[in-house]
Amino acid sequence: MLTFSAISKTYYQPDGDIQVLRQADLHLPAGQTAALLGESGCGKSTLLHLAAGLDQPDSGQIMIHDQCASDFSDRQWNHLRRETLSLVFQQYHLVPTLSVLDNLLLQARLANRLNPGLQQHLIDRLGLAPLLGRLPHQLSGGQQQRVAIGRVLMHQPRLILADEPTGNLDEATSHSVMELFTTLVKETGSSLLMVTHSQVMANYLDHQWLLQAGQITPVLARDT
Amino acid sequence: MKRQFKQTIWVFVTLISHYRRHPGQALTMALGLISGVALWAAVQLINDHARSSYAEADQLLGAEARYWIRSDNGLGVAVADYIGLRRAGFEQLYPVIETQVRDAQGRSVAIIATDLLALPVGNGIGSSARYSNPFGASSWLALIQADYQAWYPQSLASQLGIEPGQQLVLASGERLPPALIQTQTQQGQRVFMDIAAAMAILGTDTFSYLGVGRLSKLEHLRLAALLPATLKLVTNHQALDLAQVTESLHTHLTALGLLSFAVGLFIVFNAVRFSLLARQGTLTTLREMGISLGMLSIAIIAESLLWTLFGTSLGLVMGYALSQLLLPAMAMSLQSLYAAELGSLIGIQPEQVLLAFGLSLTGVVLALTLPLWLRARESIRRQRDTAAQWQQDQRGIRWLALVAMGLLGLAAVLYPWMASIEQGFLMLALLMFGGALLLPWLVLGLIKTCARLLPKHQWLLRWAVSDALAQLPHLRIALMALLLTLTANIGVTTLVGSFRTALGDWLETRLAADIYVQSESLDIEAIKQAAWLSGYSPRIGLDLRWQNRPTSIRGLDLTAPDTVDMVLVQDHGVLDHGGQNQQAQDQALQAWRAGDSPVIPILANEQVQYLAHTPLGSIIELPTPAGPRRFKIVGYVHDYGNSSLAFYLPGETVMAHWPAAELLGAGLWLSEPAAQIDPDWLSSRLSALGVKPGQWVLQGEIKRISFAIFDRTFAITATLNTLTLLVAGLSLLTALLAVHQQRLPEYAHWRSMGVNFSQWLQIAALPLLLMLAVTLLLALPLGFSLSWLLINKLNVIAFGWTMPLLWSWWPLAKLGILTLGIVLTTLTVSVVRVRQTLPTAIKQLAGDSG
Repeated sequence: MLTFSAISKTYYQPDGDIQVLRQADLHLPAGQTAALLGESGCGKSTLLHLAAGLDQPDSGQIMIHDQCASDFSDRQWNHLRRETLSLVFQQYHLVPTLSVLDNLLLQARLANRLNPGLQQHLIDRLGLAPLLGRLPHQLSGGQQQRVAIGRVLMHQPRLILADEPTGNLDEATSHSVMELFTTLVKETGSSLLMVTHSQVMANYLDHQWLLQAGQITPVLARDT
Repeated sequence: MKRQFKQTIWVFVTLISHYRRHPGQALTMALGLISGVALWAAVQLINDHARSSYAEADQLLGAEARYWIRSDNGLGVAVADYIGLRRAGFEQLYPVIETQVRDAQGRSVAIIATDLLALPVGNGIGSSARYSNPFGASSWLALIQADYQAWYPQSLASQLGIEPGQQLVLASGERLPPALIQTQTQQGQRVFMDIAAAMAILGTDTFSYLGVGRLSKLEHLRLAALLPATLKLVTNHQALDLAQVTESLHTHLTALGLLSFAVGLFIVFNAVRFSLLARQGTLTTLREMGISLGMLSIAIIAESLLWTLFGTSLGLVMGYALSQLLLPAMAMSLQSLYAAELGSLIGIQPEQVLLAFGLSLTGVVLALTLPLWLRARESIRRQRDTAAQWQQDQRGIRWLALVAMGLLGLAAVLYPWMASIEQGFLMLALLMFGGALLLPWLVLGLIKTCARLLPKHQWLLRWAVSDALAQLPHLRIALMALLLTLTANIGVTTLVGSFRTALGDWLETRLAADIYVQSESLDIEAIKQAAWLSGYSPRIGLDLRWQNRPTSIRGLDLTAPDTVDMVLVQDHGVLDHGGQNQQAQDQALQAWRAGDSPVIPILANEQVQYLAHTPLGSIIELPTPAGPRRFKIVGYVHDYGNSSLAFYLPGETVMAHWPAAELLGAGLWLSEPAAQIDPDWLSSRLSALGVKPGQWVLQGEIKRISFAIFDRTFAITATLNTLTLLVAGLSLLTALLAVHQQRLPEYAHWRSMGVNFSQWLQIAALPLLLMLAVTLLLALPLGFSLSWLLINKLNVIAFGWTMPLLWSWWPLAKLGILTLGIVLTTLTVSVVRVRQTLPTAIKQLAGDSG
């Protein structure tokens, strides 16, 4: 689903260049989930940005869903993000002026991919039915992250890129959200690449990779 | 103490450092302050300058003129009479020639000339004192010696295209002395020269009048006794009269200046709000670090003082430049309307500078007080809660609406007591600010209604409408400023349009003759026998004082077409008294023509009704040589542009009561249409009747001049209105830039979800257009109410004349198109800015988690 081949990325700064990725390779098969672990500042988010087309690599090739995305234009990346990818952030990024229901359906509407059956299923599974008419600021952090996850899954993307999705939640909520998230990802058949610094959260996923000194090393692979 | 001071300095430096990263916000603050102060200061400087000129109006070229000596027969003062009086010991007398001539290109040029050596200057009483001459010895010798000099104020020289040393050629072929660009006090827009030069060039051997400095009671009696029978000594009331008649105009201008200042303050308020909002994180962090609200407030107040100093200084400089640009048009209008002479150079007085600083400091402090007060009431935890602030903002909007209702209610309660121009402007302020404070609540209501009514499947539209809730807190102040300027624009545009139409209609009925002659030496018999003339209507009259105001008595020829077709003022259904239906009007005119009632019927201009508060049917007393005589006011006529009170009687009645009334001029009717007459032929024919060039004018020319004066008078209003609208547009632009800058991470996230540019544009632009529509819709009734008040109340109180209120859609459509253009431009600029900065925001989307 997602393949990085010899990807390099350097940030040029006045007080010295920072090379965060050095000929890094990665392969995430379709329908599988993976956690990218690493210390703060090692380049995890950079890798995620490159996978989402939010930043460009200096060299190397990125393949997404059998398409070479390295030379994509902004328009092509936009199309890819709309049709194929979904992003989940630590800060939820819900639209504050839209109701929970409108937020849930937003990305699916943008991709013209509304599925009433899936909609009801996800609302039930995420326990959002009593909250649909509320505005985001009337929800707790855990509820907001469940809406953000629901929004991503409602879109039925082939690849989900998640950046510390439970980073703002307490431990108990983190576990319940993560369990639900990974189960639903499996149910919808999407692939998931999640950046995290938490080994505990990484344990929910099929693969675990470590990003260190610009290189990606597999540390765990479960049979799925 | 020292530690606290150091801490405050560090807090101050931390806060100020914000502008290093956000120079755009610094620019907004500066622009708001500078434009607000500049527009206000420009008007203030012009007004103060004009008022100080009026205060000096009892002076002529720096010399006192407590009295005038004028001739009874209009032939001027003979040189021999002047010399005789000087020899009798009256050294405070000086001769003046004041006249209008036409140059070779037909332009009217005002000339004033005097004898510099005779000009008394200073404060002496009696004839004993000789005063130093106001003109430096180095410059005035050239003025009074052959080849002489003609002194032009800079603006007049530019207008006539005169360069230093150049000689203006007159229609008569004579040349004025070489030009020098130099202005003297009270010179106004007139060419100044030595009296000997003027007499030679103009071919006259008499003076227009003599100026008289201070006289003791004894000297006054002696001088009056010494005067030949043809000359009379009259008191100069000019300073008092000018101050009185021009007061309304200056009050109007002051109101406009204050409106500009208020709009400027809205921008400052906006900028302060954004700068506090952008520094919210910093402010909260400082609070979390143990900095007290007091210390924070001191640092913010220090910052506002710096802004005030900077903004006001530059604003004053800009205001001074703007006042110099607007002054020539204003000076010419005042000269045309009130014969008031304004100097060409405006000076800034220390008290004006202090007032400007005081006003802008008050404004900045006010703009800071509300956000600080709100911040003081919040807990530190709440300051991190943007959703709570969003809700608080909606509560604030509801409070504003309550205040607005209060202001509008107060206006409704005070309306019946509105009697002075100050109360009128208070009413306008209540109406405008009430409307402005109501606007956010109306917008909020519309957004919520739309969001409720839009069908569920219109999700993008629903999103766009709901996004207005996020944009409104940032845009509402800019929208309120825009509403104020639009309301003022609609009000003033309607006033000007109605006035122009009323003036045109009035001139059409009033100017019936083909030619108007202003000459006191007409050969009446020759006129009656001239075959090329089909009619003649003399105008006789005199000027006197009634109710301590300048008043003119005019005697009309009852057979003249304009007197036959005379129309009295109809009731507009607006004012409580003065109504006259057609039948009553006919009866009134009949009685006036007959003049045989026990109390003589008299007509008056509307100014008598509204400025002198004399209702229809009043019995008044006018001074005549035989003592006070009683007259009954039977009707009023329109008399636009006249600042004096005027009474109209049949010519014979005037001569019977005031035998010294003079022939002021006449209206002449041509046998052939005026368009077919050769001007040179006409000029020679009129000369044969004793009418010199410059003493006659064609009907069409009067209309052209009248409209030119009208347009020039309102040009300053239009300029201020346009500038204020542009400033409001600028405020909207900066608000939009700030909104989009702040919401960039949000937009980046939308983009990451696949929202394309056109969808984003709909979400960003639709709320703005929705809010603009509400603003325009609210501006219409507010603007109409404003124009109604201006025309039917303020105008009547200030100038004493009425006119029908006329709605015209084209100027409103033009204003709407201009506003839409300004809004679309600001939207385009902000959209381009978002497109430029969005890629960087997208890269920063996931923060710096590693």
